[in-house]
Amino acid sequence: MSFGLEADGLVRTFGGLHAVEDVSFRLAPGELLAVFGPNGAGKTTLLRMLAGTLRPSAGSVRVGGRPTNVGERGWRRRVGMVSHQSLLYPQLSAEENLRFYGRLFGLKDLDERIPRRLRAAHLSDRGGMPVRELSRGLRQRVALVRALLHDPDVVLLDEPYMGLDASAADRLRTQLASLKNGSRTVVLVTHNVGQGLELADRIAVQFRGRFVALEDRGHWDAEGFEGFYRATVEGVG
Amino acid sequence: MRDYLRLVWTIAGKDVLVEVRTRQRLAAMGAFAVLVGILFNYALDTTQVRAEAIASGLIWMTILFGGMLGLGRTFQLELEDGALTGILQSPIPLDALYLGKVLANFILLAIIVALVFVVFGVFFGLSLRLDRNPAGLGGVVALGVLGFVALTTLFSAVAARSTMGESLLPVLVFPLVVPVVIYGTTATDRLFAGRPLAEVTGNMRMLAAFSLVILVAGAFLFRYVIEE
Repeated sequence: MSFGLEADGLVRTFGGLHAVEDVSFRLAPGELLAVFGPNGAGKTTLLRMLAGTLRPSAGSVRVGGRPTNVGERGWRRRVGMVSHQSLLYPQLSAEENLRFYGRLFGLKDLDERIPRRLRAAHLSDRGGMPVRELSRGLRQRVALVRALLHDPDVVLLDEPYMGLDASAADRLRTQLASLKNGSRTVVLVTHNVGQGLELADRIAVQFRGRFVALEDRGHWDAEGFEGFYRATVEGVG
Repeated sequence: MRDYLRLVWTIAGKDVLVEVRTRQRLAAMGAFAVLVGILFNYALDTTQVRAEAIASGLIWMTILFGGMLGLGRTFQLELEDGALTGILQSPIPLDALYLGKVLANFILLAIIVALVFVVFGVFFGLSLRLDRNPAGLGGVVALGVLGFVALTTLFSAVAARSTMGESLLPVLVFPLVVPVVIYGTTATDRLFAGRPLAEVTGNMRMLAAFSLVILVAGAFLFRYVIEE
């Protein structure tokens, strides 16, 4: 079976601190893994290694069955990332940002692709505005368009709901749910159990760098998983 | 190769566009150049010192110190909302990213260099005899500025990753920029004095060699500086 995303024994240390410790998982195309954990658990560090912006101290990542490493850069075309930061230039408009990133990814049809994607995200009328003048919710929608502009097979989401009000979070949830309607592999990192559980096919709990639980979502409801999450984290702690 | 150059220009074009929108770095460097020109105008007694005799040194020092103000912030804009992470997550070769940054910084500093020459021309009333060898002077300045920009761009990435930030940059750059000062000021001095181009070709070769070495080394080392 070919997997969309595989992590094998990932370790990352900063000095003496083990930020990520022996994390392994395999996700099939179309699966969404939600990674939960308290602040400082190593979730963002894990995601940065999966995105190729941070070199693992040990272990490896495979995208679509092919090994990746930080030095070789072509595989990045298959990965898109949304962070709690927008990864956009506030001084440039949404269109200018998308055109810039599109060129970095070597996309040739930007004149047609960018308006289409902005239209799909209900951002057509905001495309010419500088990103710094957009609300947090609109900025996050542009960030999602940016991350998906090159049609990646793997999408990595780092606390995408952070700083959003309820209506913006609802709209983003709808957009994230649409990611699953296809063959994309998604990793969603969050400390919000309700928001993560809603979309997940598989769930992991990360604590002090390690995956202390990794299982199918099964029949967990939010309340039941919240209790399991607390018991797991407190039990390990 | 064409795609590679297109990527270099994409980075440079974006940096120049961001600077056109913010004018932060150009304003800081431009204000510095004008103020230094004014201060030197009052600090030097031109009845005792011939302006032409010291102009090249003053001009190069103004370019280097002023350039440091703006170029030191090369990666600050990238860190503002995580844009550097976005670039690193793209497939662009990191040497193309470095060369794009160098090109953008070169364009910005070229604007400041033009301003410096105007300011020193006005305040010192220099009769620079530019009519004799404008291409030679342009070549000397371009080569010296290229070496300086290549060096500062690399080290501004180091400084951006350091907790000491911009205060670290002059300590790293100035000891290494000595060849630009030596060969740049000597050649500029001779051209100001109306000497023939043949007298500065050796200096120009040294400046070209320095710039080339720094560019190649910078393109190679950049990945170790920018990646974590």
